[in-house]
Amino acid sequence: MKKRMVKALLATAVIGSVVMAGNMVAMADDEPITVTWFASRPVDGAIDLAIRQIAQQYSDEHDGNWNLEVITEADRPSYLQKLQTLISGGNMPDIIDIDATPYCQELVDAGMLVDVKQYLNDEGLYDKFEPTALAYQEFTNGTMYTLPLEYHVEMIWYNKEIFAENNVEVPKTMDEWLDVCQKLSDAGVTPISVDGVDRWPVIRYLAMMPFRETGNDYIIDLSEGNASMGDQTGRDGIEFFQKIGKYFQEGFAATDYATAQAMFLDGQSAMYYIGDWEIAAMQEAYENGTIDYFYLPTQEGALTGANEFCVNSGIGMAFNTETFDEKTKDFVNYIIENYGKIYAGMDQMTPIKSDLPEDHEFSDLYLKVRDDMGNIGEHFLKPWDCYLDSNTCTVVNDNALLLATGDIDEDTFVDMVDSALEEYKSGF
Amino acid sequence: MNGILKNKKAFLVFLLPALVFYLVSVFYPIAESIRFSFIKWGGLGPKQFVGLQNYVHLFKDKIFYTAFWNNLGYLVIVVGMQILIGLLLAVLLTYLTKGVTLIKTLYYVPCIITAVAVTQLFRSMYATQPEGIINQLLKAIGLGQFATSWLTNVKTVLVCVSIPEGWRYTGMYMVIFYAALISLDPEVCEAARIDGANGWQTLIRVKLPMIKEVMLLTLTMVLTGALRGFDIPFVLTNGGPGNVSELMSTYMYKKAFAGNQFGYGSTIAVFIIIESILVVCVLKVLFTGKDEREERRIQKEQRRMRRKGK
Repeated sequence: MKKRMVKALLATAVIGSVVMAGNMVAMADDEPITVTWFASRPVDGAIDLAIRQIAQQYSDEHDGNWNLEVITEADRPSYLQKLQTLISGGNMPDIIDIDATPYCQELVDAGMLVDVKQYLNDEGLYDKFEPTALAYQEFTNGTMYTLPLEYHVEMIWYNKEIFAENNVEVPKTMDEWLDVCQKLSDAGVTPISVDGVDRWPVIRYLAMMPFRETGNDYIIDLSEGNASMGDQTGRDGIEFFQKIGKYFQEGFAATDYATAQAMFLDGQSAMYYIGDWEIAAMQEAYENGTIDYFYLPTQEGALTGANEFCVNSGIGMAFNTETFDEKTKDFVNYIIENYGKIYAGMDQMTPIKSDLPEDHEFSDLYLKVRDDMGNIGEHFLKPWDCYLDSNTCTVVNDNALLLATGDIDEDTFVDMVDSALEEYKSGF
Repeated sequence: MNGILKNKKAFLVFLLPALVFYLVSVFYPIAESIRFSFIKWGGLGPKQFVGLQNYVHLFKDKIFYTAFWNNLGYLVIVVGMQILIGLLLAVLLTYLTKGVTLIKTLYYVPCIITAVAVTQLFRSMYATQPEGIINQLLKAIGLGQFATSWLTNVKTVLVCVSIPEGWRYTGMYMVIFYAALISLDPEVCEAARIDGANGWQTLIRVKLPMIKEVMLLTLTMVLTGALRGFDIPFVLTNGGPGNVSELMSTYMYKKAFAGNQFGYGSTIAVFIIIESILVVCVLKVLFTGKDEREERRIQKEQRRMRRKGK
């Protein structure tokens, strides 16, 4: 019995080692280079398709010896958690998507990300980009480690028919906006639909008043621990947020992105805040005159004006310093050369200056928004989740929902945010 | 073949692989979690030893207490549904003569549906936009004033998040209790009937005490499972809105993976482990009757005397 067991074990060991040796020989052969991109972009969305198209072209030009592997996690909170876990485990992908957040700063400090600003300057590609698109990607100290692939304005879409039926005009100031909401609410219309599940659309409303009053200065100070949520600007933000929160649809905390948008397009809500990346969805209703848009209303005595609102270049693309070799650099340059036209041809605003492709017909809406983008001011609203550390961000995200429904009061919210910031500052 | 089964060394050889796997995949991570709870680490850079700082922070953390009490509420509902309803269904099933297997299979089906599917099912049921089946039903029978957005109403969200978990495993416990009930010696129940006990008395005074061991097992499974409940609450509401439906496991996940506080997250995990162990110990004590305890004490004494006598 013992002899047979020993024989069996030996046989397994021999076969096992032969198989492994075979594999190693196979690996020693010339294999195509694979670059992995861990992406937080919707699958089959414009960016995903554009980059894949460019990667295919690039691969063809290099006889298939190079290819891009795209792994997508479109739900942003899950993406960030997965990214953090991968990096903690020492498995950072070659290319990642990240905003210029405190976590990104930690990666920079650990030397894990390529200095994109330096790279673009070295390659002479810096001026190929729209300046605001680049400015959005920068940290407060002016350094930039992420490459923009989008360029957006965010606006408030409104239903013209509902407005006409209820005799309300497009609001020019924040107070007028609240009045319009009240009038609509009195008439039994849901004034605003919002996606509560993804949290960020709700937080936009919290960021509006502070942006009007101070630009991004308040949130920068807050995130660095030099201001309190209970300061006047913070409270102004909270108060506006509480007022407008009353006009969100019932159960907004459980409404997802698609449902909130569908509500608006079906005429079940009068207004919907979303960026120009949804032009394709808004196209038809815009063309038959049902909907239109206006930008963030102004506030008297405010720092930022009517042509200043949320302009962003989305989550940026960052590169792992360890794997940023000649082949990857060549690919990045190739992207910058070809991305603008391809992306614009998908009815998107491109952060890379380029002429519009002639073979594609652009709608009036697209051209109008493109014009608007040429007239924006110097200040742009940068989303709060780009400034706050992960823990404070989670606290704000979760509790803003309760603040909007009136389930917690202003002071409780201020305490919670200040405690989270305190934890961050004390290095907990 | 018989020789192997009698050989004690053979037992060890056959048990060893599974034991090793268990140690590596369960024990070692638990030990690491305990080690991490004394460390501060954000995922990058060096790990910093901070002693009991995380534990001190834990006992001062208001949201942790919210999560703790929420977890107890969740536990009550889940245990109530799985044990009480499971037992009720099992008892009813014992009176059934035809179609037992069919009923068992149908009731067991929820256990094998994935958690995400169950979540989607209940999310749609609870929704207001488009209107879910619960609100539709309430309006149809004239109780429209109770229709609400169940998952965002702070008064109802915790209960609504607990129900899917309770519903899911009721069938499994029904099957376990049923198997236990039908394996009972029918002569004992006969004897009780002859002594004049009616159906209800037979159930409460005779049958249930006889399945005490099974009860202990199921209670252990349900309680420890409820203390670690995660998947359905996490996907349904992610502890929201605010922290109203936050459970200890979702809070642990948030702190460790969303908030990048791996040390503090591990501390919460250690708390959950200790709580689960305590619950099981308490259960064992409760279920060990006075007679059994007396018996065990006597046996211990006898062993001691024997050893002394040697």
